[in-house]
Amino acid sequence: MARALVQVRDLVKSFTRGTERIDVLQKLTLDVGQAEFLALMGPSGSGKTTLLNLIAGLDQPTSGKISVGENVISEMSESELARWRTRHVGFIFQFYYLLPVLTAYENVELPLLLLALTKEQRRKQVTTALDLVGLADRMDHRPGQLSGGQQQRVGIARAMVTDPELIVADEPTGDLDTKSADEILKLMEILRAQLGKTIIMVTHDPKAASRAQRILHLEKGQLVLDTAAGV
Amino acid sequence: MFGMPSEMGPTGLDPSMGLLAGYLLGVLGGLNLLALGLGFITLPVFFILLYAVEQVSLAISNATGWFPAKLVLYMFRGLRRSPLRTSLTYIALFVLTLVLSMIYSVLVFIGRVTTEKEADFKAITTHKTIIPSQMPRAHYEQFKRELAKLPDGMRPKNGEADLMAWSFFLGTTDPISKRPDSNVFAFCIEPRKILTMMDGLDDLTGKEKADLDAAVAEMERDKQAIVMSKMRMKKMNLQVGQTIKVTGLNYTDLVFDLRIIGELPDGKYDNISFINSAYLFSQLDAWKLNNPKNRTSEPHPMDAKCINLIWVRLPNKEAFERLAAAVNDTGNFSNPQIKLETASSGFGTFLEAFKDILFGMKYLMAPAMVAIMCLVIANAISIGVRERRTEMAVLKVLGFQPRHVLFLVVGEAVLVGLMAGFMSTLIAFKMIGNLKLQIAFFGAFFVPGEVLLYGPMLGAFVAVAGSIAPALNAKNVKVAEVFSKVA
Ligand SMILES: Nc1ncnc2c1ncn2[C@@H]1O[C@H](COP(=O)(O)OP(=O)(O)OP(=O)(O)O)[C@@H](O)[C@H]1O
Ligand SMILES: [Mg+2]
Repeated sequence: MARALVQVRDLVKSFTRGTERIDVLQKLTLDVGQAEFLALMGPSGSGKTTLLNLIAGLDQPTSGKISVGENVISEMSESELARWRTRHVGFIFQFYYLLPVLTAYENVELPLLLLALTKEQRRKQVTTALDLVGLADRMDHRPGQLSGGQQQRVGIARAMVTDPELIVADEPTGDLDTKSADEILKLMEILRAQLGKTIIMVTHDPKAASRAQRILHLEKGQLVLDTAAGV
Repeated sequence: MFGMPSEMGPTGLDPSMGLLAGYLLGVLGGLNLLALGLGFITLPVFFILLYAVEQVSLAISNATGWFPAKLVLYMFRGLRRSPLRTSLTYIALFVLTLVLSMIYSVLVFIGRVTTEKEADFKAITTHKTIIPSQMPRAHYEQFKRELAKLPDGMRPKNGEADLMAWSFFLGTTDPISKRPDSNVFAFCIEPRKILTMMDGLDDLTGKEKADLDAAVAEMERDKQAIVMSKMRMKKMNLQVGQTIKVTGLNYTDLVFDLRIIGELPDGKYDNISFINSAYLFSQLDAWKLNNPKNRTSEPHPMDAKCINLIWVRLPNKEAFERLAAAVNDTGNFSNPQIKLETASSGFGTFLEAFKDILFGMKYLMAPAMVAIMCLVIANAISIGVRERRTEMAVLKVLGFQPRHVLFLVVGEAVLVGLMAGFMSTLIAFKMIGNLKLQIAFFGAFFVPGEVLLYGPMLGAFVAVAGSIAPALNAKNVKVAEVFSKVA
């Protein structure tokens, strides 16, 4: 395995609901290598999304340490995290979450607005990303005018347009038919193989998981099985 | 503009009172409905405007790639997404800003009517206690003597031209049935004073000025001349050149033979006429000497009561105070005692009757409306925020800062507020202001130009106040919570 891009050490995440305390992640340790495609599986409620959110800097751990590349993100403030996310991590959601009022082009351009880029640089990056997902001819369409598979491809373009080293995907094929799902998974492989992205994907689908290089199972807050799979 | 204080005419015949009361009630009652209707009517214009401004921000963001321009563009897109909610928000803010700018205009109008013009301020002499004020002619002569006694620098700058006495005369051309349509209400004055002392007539220009000059000259030549307002002449079906016989109502038994020699321009002293006071006085004297009913040569019952007001334009406050002391001195004026007030304090008394309404408009109705509108806006915006919680969370995931989210939510409301305020005050200014509603002697009602600024500002303020709570809510959306529950 290449040098670890993501390092998770003794990660604890607890939620309190009223008086009740739920320990979702319990002293979890994990390394994800540079340009690795990792699949996270596990029963519903096991904490997959919670773990993904922590690695992606959407939430702060109760204790433990997370670093991605040079950055120790478990020590960052909320606004530092926001700035870090723009450059270093791309998100792919199960329900795409494109902004319905914006065109495909504008959706992909959104994260670039936060960077100091000229309009021309942005245009180049957006078209490159849309080209990669094969939707250059649909850039003026609104999400409502696109199929689920196409919307998810726009979602992928948006996730990679800032050229982050890490891409996280929470059940990216969960809402798609087999054919569209397959296209999405192929794109993820391309992102990893050709662009060297590190990918962490949560999925319930063993077939989707089998496309990854490694499958981890999360159960009761612990990683219970570490299978080498796929390639 | 200065006009007349309360002591202005036979009791119950003060037309300004009814007009103003009706006007204020009209404002409070009808304006809301009118504003609502206008809000609906202007909706398409609002959306066209919205679209136009969106195109501008699109052009700007395309040309410059400027981030705030992009954000503003997204606000417009958000507004167009839920046209119904945007429309309702617009109408609410439209009604608010229109009604409040009208209230503001009324207050400014009244303020201007009652505020002292320091450089040119008029003092008014009246009976100390009785309303309407009635004084003998001798008081006017005594008053002139007191003026002459004032030290240098305190006497009226233009001498006689700054001084005038008013006698109110009400008569009818139809003494049998005395229908109100046949009433003639006149100010009996020294004609020359029309040109120097009458607000709205002392600043005419061009043909109107030339006509009035000629009419005044004619009134001085022929004491039986009368100048009537256009409106009154039309109502009574009279023409310049006609003669009329007017029987006194407040001056019983006096019959005036008058020749109409001129008309007052529209919008100035509507329904009022001017007669040379010398004619009134000579008729009173004639009554005493010649009236067959009056065998004992008693003076006419109104003889000692025929001066209603004395106006004098004073150069400064010191002059006013000095003169007031002389006027209050019972050694100078005793039967009856009189008092001296400034024109605005005269108005103050007059507006006393409306104090409650004015107070209510200013301190109760306006703030209450603002508060209600804030709640309406808060409700509309928070529904929108709830609907778009996930979108806000996605923006945050992409790296947008909480303040960007805040800006987006507040911005949408502010855009609507600004536009509603702009449209409503423009309509108020152009439509209602241009009606030039005549409020009795107060001059034409006007909508001050600054409402064009205040209206949009108020709209924006209410939008901010109403949207700030939902916007903070959106700003504080915890992304992890939104996604761990959905995904
Ligand atoms: N913000 C939160 N507050 C309280 N409890 C939470 C919160 N987020 C997650 N949880 C709880 O943590 C546990 C793990 O949730 P998580 O969403 O990570 O599960 P998951 O493995 O992604 O499940 P699924 O496969 O259904 O998506 C659940 O019991 C959930 O109820
Ligand atoms: Mg999940």
